[in-house]
Amino acid sequence: MTGTTDLRPTVRDATPPSSDRRRRRGPDLLPYLLVTPLAVFIIGLALVPAGLALVQSFYRVQELNPPVRFAGLDNFRRLFSDDAVLASMGNTMLYVLFGVALSTLLGIVMAMTLRHPFRGRSVLIAIMVLPWALPGVVEGIVWTGIWDSNSGLLNSVLSSLHLISDYHVFLGNNRLLTILAIELVQVWQITPLSTLLILAALQNVPGDLHEAAQLDGCSPWASFRRVTLPLIRPGITIAMVQALIQTLNVFDQPYVLNGSASTGTSLTMQTYFISFQNLDFGEGYALSLVLTITTLVISLGIVKLVYRPVEF
Amino acid sequence: MVHMRSYARGIAAVIATTSLALATGCSTGGPSGGSDKTRGATITVALGSEPPPKASLAAFTKKTGIKVKWVTLDWDSLQTKISAAASSKTFFADATDVDWSRVGQLGKLGWFQPLNSKLKTKAMGKDMPQLTSFTSGGNVVGIPYDASFMVTTVNKKLFGEAGIRRMPTTLADYTKDLQAIKQKGVVKYPLNIPFAAAEGLSTYWYQTTGAMGGTILDGKGKPQFESPSSPGYQAAQWMVDALKKGLVPPGNINVSDSQGQQTLMAKGQVASTFSDYSGNVGTLYDVPDSSSVVHQVAYLTTPGASGTGPNLSNPDGIGIPTEAKYPAAAAKFIEWFTSARNQVDFAGVNGPAKVLKNYNMPSRVSALAVMTAKGKLVDGQQLTLMLKHSSRPVFPEGAPSWYPEFSRSVYTNLHAAASGSKSVADAVKAMADSANSLSSGS
Repeated sequence: MTGTTDLRPTVRDATPPSSDRRRRRGPDLLPYLLVTPLAVFIIGLALVPAGLALVQSFYRVQELNPPVRFAGLDNFRRLFSDDAVLASMGNTMLYVLFGVALSTLLGIVMAMTLRHPFRGRSVLIAIMVLPWALPGVVEGIVWTGIWDSNSGLLNSVLSSLHLISDYHVFLGNNRLLTILAIELVQVWQITPLSTLLILAALQNVPGDLHEAAQLDGCSPWASFRRVTLPLIRPGITIAMVQALIQTLNVFDQPYVLNGSASTGTSLTMQTYFISFQNLDFGEGYALSLVLTITTLVISLGIVKLVYRPVEF
Repeated sequence: MVHMRSYARGIAAVIATTSLALATGCSTGGPSGGSDKTRGATITVALGSEPPPKASLAAFTKKTGIKVKWVTLDWDSLQTKISAAASSKTFFADATDVDWSRVGQLGKLGWFQPLNSKLKTKAMGKDMPQLTSFTSGGNVVGIPYDASFMVTTVNKKLFGEAGIRRMPTTLADYTKDLQAIKQKGVVKYPLNIPFAAAEGLSTYWYQTTGAMGGTILDGKGKPQFESPSSPGYQAAQWMVDALKKGLVPPGNINVSDSQGQQTLMAKGQVASTFSDYSGNVGTLYDVPDSSSVVHQVAYLTTPGASGTGPNLSNPDGIGIPTEAKYPAAAAKFIEWFTSARNQVDFAGVNGPAKVLKNYNMPSRVSALAVMTAKGKLVDGQQLTLMLKHSSRPVFPEGAPSWYPEFSRSVYTNLHAAASGSKSVADAVKAMADSANSLSSGS
């Protein structure tokens, strides 16, 4: 026992202080080396291209009209004087409005429904997630069979219920109806993720808060509005931001369902047309930059308006 | 512990070095000029169709020593990848799709290698009437592997039910016959025009313009359809009128070309498609799995303004990108892939084992002759005559380099005229303005 007591300081003395060790061996590079692969890929495949796109958006980069030359704000001037681009900006804002609002509302409703355990809940969640896993092009093709104006499922059902006498044209004629119909398809795709994000936030809300509210005489609606909703705001914020990113970048659904008609073209479709059909990469970069800045600004706005820190 | 750390550091260093090397490799352009090697080379072929049967490719490898790595991509992705790879001067494929509509663009940009010196293009041209659609500035940039031209198809049974025994030979008679079919209630909407804002609408208008005796652009790219009396203007008016007067289903405002053929024409919901795909009778309308009008549909010599009109070509070709690794091997592959013998096999003349899935129609007249002689091509004689004598390039002097932008203007404006958001006059003016602006380089 005595021996042990005597040994302790000896052992301590034999181990040099950690600061001395570092000084002797130089800085510890291991953490840096471990993050290097990821950093290289992020820098090489995201930041460098983004930086190049930013720079090139101020250059005239036209494959059919070389060489590359500095153009100042000319690409942006041409963008904002192009009727097709302006129309697609309006369309995209409508996609965002419909998409973010609907997917968030549906996400909250579905998350509330799935909040408590019940038989078949996990199967229901698995089925609900399916549309999220499907590629947009596939969804567009599937929904073509529903919206089709000559032989679509919806017209067929409405007709057999004697609700309509002639088949309706849902896509292509009326801009608002076209955008709503297309956006419904995207909402079908993005709502599962919104639901899961809000459901995760709901799971964190302590049950005793609801019990306390109930004891204080709160109705279920008042409990939801005054207790649940404020506490799941972080989850709702993330759900809204992901929906915003998806809807601002909508491409597959309008392209498959409505072609290039001005009633439904989105900003990403215009970026594709300008870059890969007109081969005007400078203007394409400029439009991508506009889209990126718009995404950042609206995302920040959502965070500012909706997000509130929550501590339990 | 110290050993463990050294080991971890070593691993981290290897990972870091590898990822840096990978990243550097990713950003480096591929070889330019390529190798003359053929035997032992593995070439990448990227097309919108399924690969030929394994046995066919194995026979090619055995004969030439060239291995083929086949990549199937949809048309849009293919065009995007061709543009992205060529503009960044990186390797994408040794042989890939050359669409007729991009020949001018590809020729001007030098993204594809001239095939004149690599293949016997003069001899090929004699057997492939559509080779002219792939010539830009005297250079052949692609070889057509699948003949495609626009034809008029009619459902003879439905025409017969309306009491029409003699098929129309002029556009005026054709229109009258369609009206008669509607009036007699044989079908509610007798004509299929795909008004979705997509390429199929542009080609429909080109074919209708051709039938009316006109052209779209002159040799300098100036529009030939601005005047209300021009065939192009009248073709646009005829198409929109057909929709407004109830000859075309109202839902066609959002129907694409293939969709209309599959869901309307093949189901007997319409009686005719003025601008249909060559080969559709044999590959779609006479196939019981996909059609309810088997043996009812026939090709019609294009009803023109005052007699037979042309059949405009929109074939698919295959060419060699400038950044190909093995251009010589790719040329050998193209020669093999487009040979008359293979085209006959791909079209199913020598049994299902040799069929190339979704292969439309051979681009060689000699292959068509074999198919017709063996009774393997529905209306073969008529199609051969059309290919030899009446198929014409949409742009006789080659598609302009700005064609994709012009075509988008055509189909979005025609779609707008059909949906009523623009008048025909405004739509035609917008299309002409687009052509004028693009051809003047502004």
